[in-house]
Amino acid sequence: MAKFLVLARGTEQRYANRSPQEMQQVLQKYMAWTAGLRDAGRMLHAERLKADGRVVRGAAGKMTVTDGPFAESKEVLGGFWMVEAASYEQIQRDLANHPHLAAGSLEVREIEDRSAKG
Amino acid sequence: MEPAAPSEVDALVEHLFRHSAGRMVSSLARRLGSARLDLAEEAVQDALVRALRTWPYGGVPTEPAGWLFQVAKHRALDLLRREASLRGKLEIIEGEPGPVVNLDVADDGAVGDDELAMMFMCCHPSLPRLGRIALTLKTVGGFSVEEIAAAFLAEPAAIAQRLVRAKRQIREQDIPIEIPRSDEIDERLESVLDVLYLFFNEGYSVHGGENLVRAELCGEAIRLAGILARNRRTDLPPVHALLALMLLQASRLPARVDEAGDLLLLSEQDRARWDQGLIGEGLRHLERAASGASMTAYHVEAAIAACHAVAPDEASTDWAYVLRLYGELLALKPSPVVELNRAIALAMVEGPTAGIRAIEGIQEHPALARYYLLPAALGALWLRAGDTTRAAGYYREALTRPSSSPERRFLEKQLERCAAL
Repeated sequence: MAKFLVLARGTEQRYANRSPQEMQQVLQKYMAWTAGLRDAGRMLHAERLKADGRVVRGAAGKMTVTDGPFAESKEVLGGFWMVEAASYEQIQRDLANHPHLAAGSLEVREIEDRSAKG
Repeated sequence: MEPAAPSEVDALVEHLFRHSAGRMVSSLARRLGSARLDLAEEAVQDALVRALRTWPYGGVPTEPAGWLFQVAKHRALDLLRREASLRGKLEIIEGEPGPVVNLDVADDGAVGDDELAMMFMCCHPSLPRLGRIALTLKTVGGFSVEEIAAAFLAEPAAIAQRLVRAKRQIREQDIPIEIPRSDEIDERLESVLDVLYLFFNEGYSVHGGENLVRAELCGEAIRLAGILARNRRTDLPPVHALLALMLLQASRLPARVDEAGDLLLLSEQDRARWDQGLIGEGLRHLERAASGASMTAYHVEAAIAACHAVAPDEASTDWAYVLRLYGELLALKPSPVVELNRAIALAMVEGPTAGIRAIEGIQEHPALARYYLLPAALGALWLRAGDTTRAAGYYREALTRPSSSPERRFLEKQLERCAAL
C-alpha cells in the first residue's frame, strides 16, 4: 500500500449564495465519498486550509513575506486528503465520483517511500 | 482527521441545515431584536458556509446542530462588535450605549419558543399577506429567496423586494419577536394558521413533480403546525384542527398518481397506499381539536378529510355526512369553490342530475371563470349520467382553462373515455 495526497483546488466557489438545503446536499456528497474510504481504513488524514496565507521568498537576509496565495482562484489549494491505495489505478477509481470535481480540480501525488527497502 | 470513525457518524438528519437555519435565526434574532434580523441571518449563513468548508475534511461533528449553533453565536457576536465599533464615533455624539446582548441562552431547551415567537412576528397582521408568506419561509423555514420564488412561480427579485419591504416595516413599526399575550393569541394565531394553510395548499396543488421545493411546502407546513401544537401557549383547538387536516390530506399523497405520474381520482386510488401512520396521527389531532367551543373552517375541512380517510372505498364513504359538513363549511367560509365541492357531494347522495343542477347555479360566478375544475366536474357528472357528448364538451372546455401538465393529461384521458363509450 502506498500513500497518496489528494489536493483539492479551486473550492472557493460561491457557497455564500446557496440555500441551507443546497449546502447540505453538497456536503452529503463529500461525506459519502470520505465515508467509503474511512470504512475501508484507507483515509489517513485530511485538513481544510484557510483561505488566506503568506508566501515567503528570498535567501537569508533578503527574505520577503507577502500575502498569498498568488494563484488564480481556480487553482487555490482548498484542502487535502491523505489516502492509502495500492496504485494510481485504484486511487483514480476512488476519485471517479469525487464531488469536488463539480467545483474544481484534484491533484494526486504519491508520497515517496523513504524507508531503506525502497 | 481522527482515527477511522464509523461512517454512521457522518449521517446527517434530513433537512438538518434548513431546519437548523430556521431555529438559529429565530433564536438569535429573538435575542438581538427584530431590527437585527439581517445580522442574525448573516451569522447563520456564515455558520453553514463554515460547515460546508470544513466538514468534508474533518468529518461531521458529534453534535452537528450544536456545532452550528456555537459557530453562529460567535459569528453574531463578531458582527455585533463590528457594528458597535463602526458606530463608535457616532456614539460620542449621540451618547447611545452599545449593544448589550446575552446570546448564551440561545441553545437552551426553549428553542420551540423561539420559532414560535418568530412565526408570530413574520405573520403579524399589519404586514401584507405576501410579505408574511415570504418572511415565514425565509426566516423560520430556512428557504432561500430562489427556493421561495420557485415554490410560488415568482421572480426571485420580486421575492427579495417583498422581504426587504417587510423587514423595513418591522423595523419602522418595531414589531417584536415575541409570543403574544394570552388575550391576543386567538386573533394573532389566525394569521399564522392562514399562512401555514396556504403553504400546504400550494404544496398540495398538482404540479409536474419536477418542482421539488414546492413539494416540500406540505412538509414544512406540517412541521411548523407541529411546533404550534406542541407548545403549551398555542396548544389550541384550531391548531390541532389545521394539523389534522394537513396530516389527513398528506396521507393520500403517495396514492394520488399512478406509476406514470398520471393523476388518479379518489375512486381510482389504491387506498392501501394511503399512509396509515399519518391518518392515525391526523385523527388523534382531530380529537384534540374537538376539545374547545370554537368551530373553525379547519375543523370542518379536517372532518371531511377524515370521512374519506376512514372509508374503505368511495361507495362506502358516508356521503350524507360529507354533504352536511360541506353545508357547515359553506356557512363558515362562503366561497364558490366550497359550493362546487358541495355539489359533487350532493351528486354522490342524490345522483348526478342534482349535482349538475347545483353546479349550474354557480357556473357564472366570476371567481370560477378560469377554474378548470368546474367544467371538469360537469364533465364527470354528465359522464355518470350517461351523456358522453355533453361530458366531452365540458372536458374540452376544461382543457381551455389553466392547469398543470398532469391535470391536462388527466382531462385528455377523460376525453378519450368519452369517445370510447
